[in-house]
Amino acid sequence: MSKFADISIDHAIIRRAAKGDGKAHEIIYRAFATPVYTLCLRFTRVPAHAEDLVQETFIEVMRSIGRFRGDASIGTWIRRVAVSKALMFLRSAWTSRSQALGEDWDDFHADDGSFSRPSEHTDAAMDLDSALNALPDVARTVVWLHDVEGFTHKEIADFMGRTESFSKSQLSRAYQRLRPMLASDQTEQAAALRSFS
Amino acid sequence: MADEDKDQDMIAGLTADEHRALHDGLSRLPDTMPPRIVWERIQEQAEAEGLLKSAPRHHWYLGSGIAAALVVAAIVLLPANQPAEQLPTAMTVPDSMPTNETSVNALQALMVESRQLEENLRALPAEPRVTRAGTAATISELQDRIAAIDYQLSRTDGSLTPEQEQILWRERVRMMRSLVGLRYAQSQRVAF
Repeated sequence: MSKFADISIDHAIIRRAAKGDGKAHEIIYRAFATPVYTLCLRFTRVPAHAEDLVQETFIEVMRSIGRFRGDASIGTWIRRVAVSKALMFLRSAWTSRSQALGEDWDDFHADDGSFSRPSEHTDAAMDLDSALNALPDVARTVVWLHDVEGFTHKEIADFMGRTESFSKSQLSRAYQRLRPMLASDQTEQAAALRSFS
Repeated sequence: MADEDKDQDMIAGLTADEHRALHDGLSRLPDTMPPRIVWERIQEQAEAEGLLKSAPRHHWYLGSGIAAALVVAAIVLLPANQPAEQLPTAMTVPDSMPTNETSVNALQALMVESRQLEENLRALPAEPRVTRAGTAATISELQDRIAAIDYQLSRTDGSLTPEQEQILWRERVRMMRSLVGLRYAQSQRVAF
């Protein structure tokens, strides 16, 4: 499902980029800017932060592309750079508000009671997109890394400096939150919402 | 990966159908393009750090702004008595543009078509499976020219006459059509 793996760049362009060719870098940027920005926006939810992270990602690409050996696809490599940058940002954001990684579920419950006890109104208005955005940062990030980018729990744990159990736990809790959005019809959704509340 | 997913379904309590629905839903979420200014900022930082070779930086608002400037200049330089049918299609203008309701409607129609083309562009797959240097360069050039026109249209100092504004919008629509066509062809290559 990851968009990164679907994009390929000519080796000649990569070689030119490694020599500092600006046009080659622009081609790489135009090819990957959207998936990088989408990923960063999903993680941070704030366009200005996502823009900064896109900039940091491609500057890092420019600095490091000379060391890119081609063992993996360039899309996989750029995605890893983007994920690292985004997680570094989130980690600093979490740190700045004196919260440990993964402990923001408490905030989530306190801030978003309507989601804990969904009403008929929110049932009608909520979709997967908004439900995903309503998740705590860490849970949304784990869902995205696991179910969109296809990373394993071990890889996610390595990225976040946590254990596999942590990643699994975050995913499980996120699934429970998203579950009402996944029922196949309104009756099932209503039942799921009732059981959830 | 498949085994792990199965295990996670058990942990999370999602059925296979729910998990599939989640994947389908996630795959349908829209992609988002970053604003154009991000690339400008990247170029500025890269040059400041000496990451790029000495090729002159390509300011879209200067370099490709020439395209928009030429469009505006063409309006001024066109002979007033030249028959419209002798002009290139994109430059076809009456000797004097009416400022009546017809002109306003024409301008609105161009704006609507431009907006529709933007929507069509967004509806296309965001990224090609294979990026060809030539195609990417052409797309880049078109995007630059459109940005240059947008720059001209964004001027609020009243320096554009209604006639010039309409010509710019017509040119924008023409560029957008080319861009959509190119991107569509690109997506078809991906599909096959």
